[in-house]
Amino acid sequence: MSAVEARRAGAEKLIVVPYSRVSPAAVATNMILILLGCFFLLPMLWMVFASVDSNPDWAIKLPTPTLANFTDVLGRADAISSFRSSLILAGTTTVVTTVLAVLAAYPLSRMHIPFKRAFMLAILFASGLPVSMLIVPVYQMYVYFGWLDSLYTTALFLAASSLPFAIWLMKNFIDAVPAELEQAAAIDGASTARILRELVLPLTLPGIAVTAIYTFINAWGAFIIPFVLTYSPDNQPGPVEIYNFMGSHGLFKFGDLAVFSLLFSVPVIVLYLFMSRYFSGAFNFGGAVK
Amino acid sequence: MLSEVRFEGVHKIFGTETAVEDLNLRVNAGEFLVLVGPSGCGKTTTLRMLAGLERPSYGRILIGDKLVNNVSPRFRDVAMVFQSYALYPHMNVYDNLAFGMRARGAAGSVIAQRVKETAEVLGLAQLMKRRPSELSGGQRQRVALGRALIRQPQVFLMDEPLSNLDAGLRVQMRAELSRLHERFRVTTLYVTHDQVEAMTMGDRIAVMNSGRLQQVDAPETLYDNPANIFVAGFIGSPRMNFVRGSLTMTRGVAAVEFLGVTTPLSSRAKLTAEAADGAVTVGLRPEDLMWRRAAPPESTLTLSAEVDVVEPMGHEAYVTAVCAGETVTSRFPPRSGVRTRDRIELALNPARLHLFDARSGNTILQRPVAGGAELPRSVGEARVDESEEGRSERQREPHTRSAQSRAEEIS
Repeated sequence: MSAVEARRAGAEKLIVVPYSRVSPAAVATNMILILLGCFFLLPMLWMVFASVDSNPDWAIKLPTPTLANFTDVLGRADAISSFRSSLILAGTTTVVTTVLAVLAAYPLSRMHIPFKRAFMLAILFASGLPVSMLIVPVYQMYVYFGWLDSLYTTALFLAASSLPFAIWLMKNFIDAVPAELEQAAAIDGASTARILRELVLPLTLPGIAVTAIYTFINAWGAFIIPFVLTYSPDNQPGPVEIYNFMGSHGLFKFGDLAVFSLLFSVPVIVLYLFMSRYFSGAFNFGGAVK
Repeated sequence: MLSEVRFEGVHKIFGTETAVEDLNLRVNAGEFLVLVGPSGCGKTTTLRMLAGLERPSYGRILIGDKLVNNVSPRFRDVAMVFQSYALYPHMNVYDNLAFGMRARGAAGSVIAQRVKETAEVLGLAQLMKRRPSELSGGQRQRVALGRALIRQPQVFLMDEPLSNLDAGLRVQMRAELSRLHERFRVTTLYVTHDQVEAMTMGDRIAVMNSGRLQQVDAPETLYDNPANIFVAGFIGSPRMNFVRGSLTMTRGVAAVEFLGVTTPLSSRAKLTAEAADGAVTVGLRPEDLMWRRAAPPESTLTLSAEVDVVEPMGHEAYVTAVCAGETVTSRFPPRSGVRTRDRIELALNPARLHLFDARSGNTILQRPVAGGAELPRSVGEARVDESEEGRSERQREPHTRSAQSRAEEIS
């Protein structure tokens, strides 16, 4: 074999072997992922198409364009009030959860607390409990206290159910702030309040934002708790309202349903985009240590 | 303003681990005391106890005349430079420097003035608007130092502040720290594992090992009269040679036998009460073990050896040789032409022997203190070096001299 031939053979080997083979495993993985993607995307596609279709039904089809569905929904008082209710419900839940989560996570992250590990595991366990399991006793409790049908008391229970996860999340963010920074500040003469205000809060702000957004999104989409704990039409948040579109109004108005769902999803999508920015590397303690 | 620091019978126990055991140490007012030892020896714990970040398990810690065991770090009036610098990452240089004064409620105009002065002393004036992430390692180090300096505290605490810098910068900062101490004279406790830093910067050095204080002395005293085998081996590079020997006393004259030779001990040296006939460990510094041909007349002992390894350093060479079954390192002049497997003769001045009890490791030979006829060595020379990293640092530095003359004044 001449030197040239040998080199060519070598070159062929180089190109052929690693790149030409597509493994069956990779094909299978991709197919499954595409299928799963369709599973999530198709309903959304239906939602988008139906929202601008003058004659929508169950099927996904190219729409005959119209904005009538939008004007119809935006003209309905119950649709507008459900947005207001959702905002109050999710907003209150977010504020209560975030404040309590920060206050709980800081000592859990920084101090020596007996049975801390057991406590954290109990919290983790609690965050996995399905809410529907608790809803009957909670309903009885709300009846007893006379708390039914108020968005604020409903938000309290939503906050209680989202706290465990929020505490875990927040603790991890606080753990990431080097303890030496606080020690340096203490030696510098700063009080605990000043350390919290000028060091811990600014440095965990991304974490607080993520916790708040996550809580907000969950509360925004919560169905079973407000469904059980509120009943007057004025206090129905979005997800319950969507349910009403489908059931008690008798006829399905597919167009309105699609428009309402679409509008209701917008805040969630925006917040998700915002949050993903924080998740991907907005954390920077550069120059703090080393 | 100048305060001394005292540790009185201080213990620190973590669970079942004793990190610091019965520490009695006094840092004189205005002194630069270096706490040195291998990692895990308790030196950082000691520093953190003084800062108030750890509470001693037993014992008393005093700053000035004030017992500070239960005083929180905030009220101790100490400043600390962390190994990691611990700069506030979301604040610029100005705010990092100003933080401590603001926390103590100083007036805005006073703060601005002090920040300006401090920044000028440390050459940070151009960097005031930068965040720590936009600074180089050396600049961060300076900011950390500035944050301590600006407060004019009673005591400075430094926890390996130079260990994250590259070798060149470290030499430079070492000199700078010595100059700053010269200028402000604040009582300083400086922790390091680097014996070069200890020797060049310390007024006195405290050597710790496994939680226990081994010896506190001026650098040269420590070098010439180490209290035990640990200190002898830890201070000095290349390391002191330790060989087996035996001590005999006949009619009041002590003689020691080692490496196949026997020599009476110098009349100027004194044996301690622990000394007894029998096995001892003999310590020989490599620079006291010389090539016969290059040795001065006081080196009266001659040992025959076979060369194992030759390490040329440029201005000198270290020759590891096997002598009477023991491996020893000796200092040779450069370009001696000696090679592996050569038979050579080594020379030794018997007055420069170190003797340690074979069991306890304590020194049993008190050598004459500096000032005598054989004093003549300056620690500023190459021998105080760190073996792992250091040949580039093996050079005289001007500030070394001043650190030593200071050390002498104090001792």
